[in-house]
Amino acid sequence: MSPLVHGAAYGVVIVSALLTVIAFGIWFERKFAGRMQSRLGPTIVGPVGLFQPLADVVKLLQKEDIVPKDADRHLFDIAPILAALCSLGAAAVVPFSSSMVAADLDIGVLYVLGIGGLMVIPTFCAGWASNNKFALLGAMRAIAQSVSYGVPLVLSVLVPVILAGSMSVSGIVAWQSTHHWVAVWPIIPGLPAFFLFFLAMLAESNRIPFDIPEAESELVAGVTTEYTGAKFVLFYMAEYVHTLVGSALGAALFFGGWDGPFAPGLHWMVAKTLAIFVVVYWVRWSLLRLRADQLMDLCWKRLTPIGVALVLLAAAWVQYGPEGAR
Amino acid sequence: MGYVTDAARALATTLRNALRPPTTVEFPAVIRPRAERYRASFALPDDEHGEVACIACLACERICPSQVIKMKSGGKRESPVSGKKRAYVDEFVLDLSACIQCELCIQVCNSDAITMTREPEAPSFSREDLVLNLVRLRANAHDKTAAWGRGTVLQEMQEPPKAEKPPVRAPTEAPKPIQAKEPPADAIAEPKQPPAPPPQPATATATVPETETP
Repeated sequence: MSPLVHGAAYGVVIVSALLTVIAFGIWFERKFAGRMQSRLGPTIVGPVGLFQPLADVVKLLQKEDIVPKDADRHLFDIAPILAALCSLGAAAVVPFSSSMVAADLDIGVLYVLGIGGLMVIPTFCAGWASNNKFALLGAMRAIAQSVSYGVPLVLSVLVPVILAGSMSVSGIVAWQSTHHWVAVWPIIPGLPAFFLFFLAMLAESNRIPFDIPEAESELVAGVTTEYTGAKFVLFYMAEYVHTLVGSALGAALFFGGWDGPFAPGLHWMVAKTLAIFVVVYWVRWSLLRLRADQLMDLCWKRLTPIGVALVLLAAAWVQYGPEGAR
Repeated sequence: MGYVTDAARALATTLRNALRPPTTVEFPAVIRPRAERYRASFALPDDEHGEVACIACLACERICPSQVIKMKSGGKRESPVSGKKRAYVDEFVLDLSACIQCELCIQVCNSDAITMTREPEAPSFSREDLVLNLVRLRANAHDKTAAWGRGTVLQEMQEPPKAEKPPVRAPTEAPKPIQAKEPPADAIAEPKQPPAPPPQPATATATVPETETP
């Protein structure tokens, strides 16, 4: 089987799986958010409101496709497609089991970070092309945030890379299944690196408490202010996919991915990913939004130095640790 | 550091909420017990002869602060049921869309002819559906549970209590003289002098309260 066919087949499977998970992830988020606020959440559409995401999608697709009069038409149209591509593309290197990975790149970690960093381009396209001050402000904030948080994100990901001595996501998972999970041992660079990764991932995917690019109370809806219907669905989906892929990476890089007893690897990977995904929701519905300057303060004065220290510790562990120099 | 502890507390709070049953219910399917004096819509109940009790005295129309009640009197005629002569109401319109549920119309009704109901009207798509006419108001008296208040009950409640006889004024005691300050510390050991009898005001009589007849 040529790599192209292999990749395409896995792409179809993984994209469909991701979209299904996201549809029910939205249902779960609304239900969970309801319960956290002592509400019921959706109940009407389908059993326990299970078909609510489908109803939402149908509703959104029916909506009129509005393009602002002075918008840059081509950029405006292409931005949501690019956003969806960037977020879905990152899923390519996520290993769902020891054999189930769309593209087992040698530099998978670099690829994920790169394609995640590309998200700023559709974001800025959307903000610029909308010809709307809220959208533009949202885009500028999003870019400032994504570029800044890229630094702690890279530093946190470097810890498992250094420990495992591999830049392939599958390679890192394979190393963990023969040694120990990165977040478990060595606990000092491992677990803090996961927290760093988690925070940076939240910021990269613009989730609360780092949602200042959207900031409903300040910027209407940020870059998506002028988007309706199917294009808005693409943006919305891109954000969810970004979060989901981020959770999957967290599970793979820090919690051993498919590694686990009794159950098949795919089950372990899905369970770990969903566990991190749930924590993302939990954080989203519990915390308040940071101010823009607090966000930058947190990134550059706290997370980045911590990240540098963790990378140095990881390197020292590899060189002088109990497992000896490699 | 404050943000970290606050964030931990926020996460703990939401987790606690998520683990306990929700406090809301699905309203149309589940209706929580309503307050004892909950009131929503209106009804025109019948009198003991099965006729509408309203005699079109206009008291409720006059007192209504939002002026949502309009009625037309049908004049006095003999009742076909009881044979007694009484007044009738021909038209009675209550616009629920502007009603503020103040219950004043109920309070002024001397014949208990308008009451409120515990069940609200069904939500509607047009304002016209919220205008209650005589037919709908009479139907409400049969179909819906009456609320707590009725005109005569409320009037009796709000009447000032009737005095049995003119109140007798209690005799006033003589005002106490202001106590002298504590003696200085060296004077404590001395036997305490009985306090001097308080100077009676010139108007005070010799009768003491105990001896006075009740």
